[in-house]
Amino acid sequence: VVRPVAAAPDQLSQKVEQSIKDAQEACSGDPVSGECAAAWDEVEELSAAVSHAKDKSKDTDPLETYCKDNPETDECRTYDN
Amino acid sequence: MAVCTVYTVQSLNSTYSISTTPAKKNNLLGFNQKQAVVFYSRKTTTATRSGRPGAAVISCSAADKTIVIGLAADSGCGKSTFMRRLTSVFGGAAEPPKGGNPDSNTLISDTTTVICLDDYHSLDRTGRKEKGVTALDPRANDFDLMYEQVKAIKDGVAVDKPIYNHVSGLLDPPELIKPPKILVIEGLHPMYDSRVRDLLDFSIYLDISNEVKFAWKIQRDMAERGHSLESIKASIEARKPDFDAYIDPQKQYADAVIEVLPTQLIPDDNEGKVLRVRLIMKEGIKFFNPVYLFDEGSTISWVPCGRKLTCSYPGIKFTYGPDTYYGNEVSVLEMDGQFDRLDELIYVESHLSNISTKFYGEITQQMLKLSDFPGSNNGTGLFQTIVGLKIRDLYEQIIATRAAAPLEATKA
Repeated sequence: VVRPVAAAPDQLSQKVEQSIKDAQEACSGDPVSGECAAAWDEVEELSAAVSHAKDKSKDTDPLETYCKDNPETDECRTYDN
Repeated sequence: MAVCTVYTVQSLNSTYSISTTPAKKNNLLGFNQKQAVVFYSRKTTTATRSGRPGAAVISCSAADKTIVIGLAADSGCGKSTFMRRLTSVFGGAAEPPKGGNPDSNTLISDTTTVICLDDYHSLDRTGRKEKGVTALDPRANDFDLMYEQVKAIKDGVAVDKPIYNHVSGLLDPPELIKPPKILVIEGLHPMYDSRVRDLLDFSIYLDISNEVKFAWKIQRDMAERGHSLESIKASIEARKPDFDAYIDPQKQYADAVIEVLPTQLIPDDNEGKVLRVRLIMKEGIKFFNPVYLFDEGSTISWVPCGRKLTCSYPGIKFTYGPDTYYGNEVSVLEMDGQFDRLDELIYVESHLSNISTKFYGEITQQMLKLSDFPGSNNGTGLFQTIVGLKIRDLYEQIIATRAAAPLEATKA
């Protein structure tokens, strides 16, 4: 079974960049419209998603990741007693 | 439901241990109950199986009813950090459901399930853009479904909850949520709808002041491509009318509010690194006794730095006292400044009362365990940990009273 993989932060970063451009455009006509607020809300949502994705990829220790897949190797074996 | 089926099997098992005669089987039962269950259930005839639903109804008592906790905060205000601190108090790490949607917002641990209320968006990202409403707007959220599903989980029924995918901005196929011991609903509107609010056993509001929100978002987004000071400012400004109209008013209903403000120890500080954090606790809530410093009900200002404790600039200042908050009587505990070293924290912990710890130094130990989380060196981490312990205490008291008065519990 191939498990689906969460989107990479790089792709999301591009989306953020695009959404900021869209928001600036949407607000150029009417800065207090609902469209303007919704566009900036999208920027916020995507920015939050990027930072969550970054946090997720940041806290993975290379050895820990390796040991999850190879618990029987010399580097990874742990015994409780 | 899952909890119920376990109980069904156990009660079925106990009736069988009476009816079956061979000594061998009884030994097996005493040795390992789980194996015995499998063995017997294979032998059960269809006639005895029909007795199952009846047994299930009896064992599904109100004693294992889910306790629901609501956490309200704006996005990017540290909800996820708070959630991880809370689940850590109950022990065990919280993880996304295994093998499901990789963009699921749910976190599951042994005792706790955390669901994100964004999953109840009635409009997806393009839908909101077309109608010109933000996610903060109640029109973008399905409160009927939120109420129905939270109520069902509270009553011990598993539900198929939609998933709002934050990456694609679409509503994904639903995932199955089984009733946990503690359900936490976190998001923008846990206390907005009065029906949902009435289901909550405890509610928390994370109140981040505008100055700190701005500083945090700069830290979070500034390095991001396309973002600039202007875009961060514009994003906060554009969302502010809806935030003030729909999100902020919820704090009047919260049992505990954690307010994060700029420090008063450094004049004109706007870095957002040193914080003044206030824990506002409602008085008179059943099973919830507010924390106090030195003397309950007095007004106290305390600077722990001195001969016994050395602090670096800008030091630490605690304040405690009674107050009113939206017409409610509250106790407020405030911490300004940040810790440099552990001994400061244990010194502070030993002077706080009603913190619901199980052993001396539990707060310090919890904070140490999660020392790499944001806010571990200031009042946000300290007060989040305290609220976590308070929720554990509340949970244990509710369970204890239900066990003591089963008749009353079934009526409710």
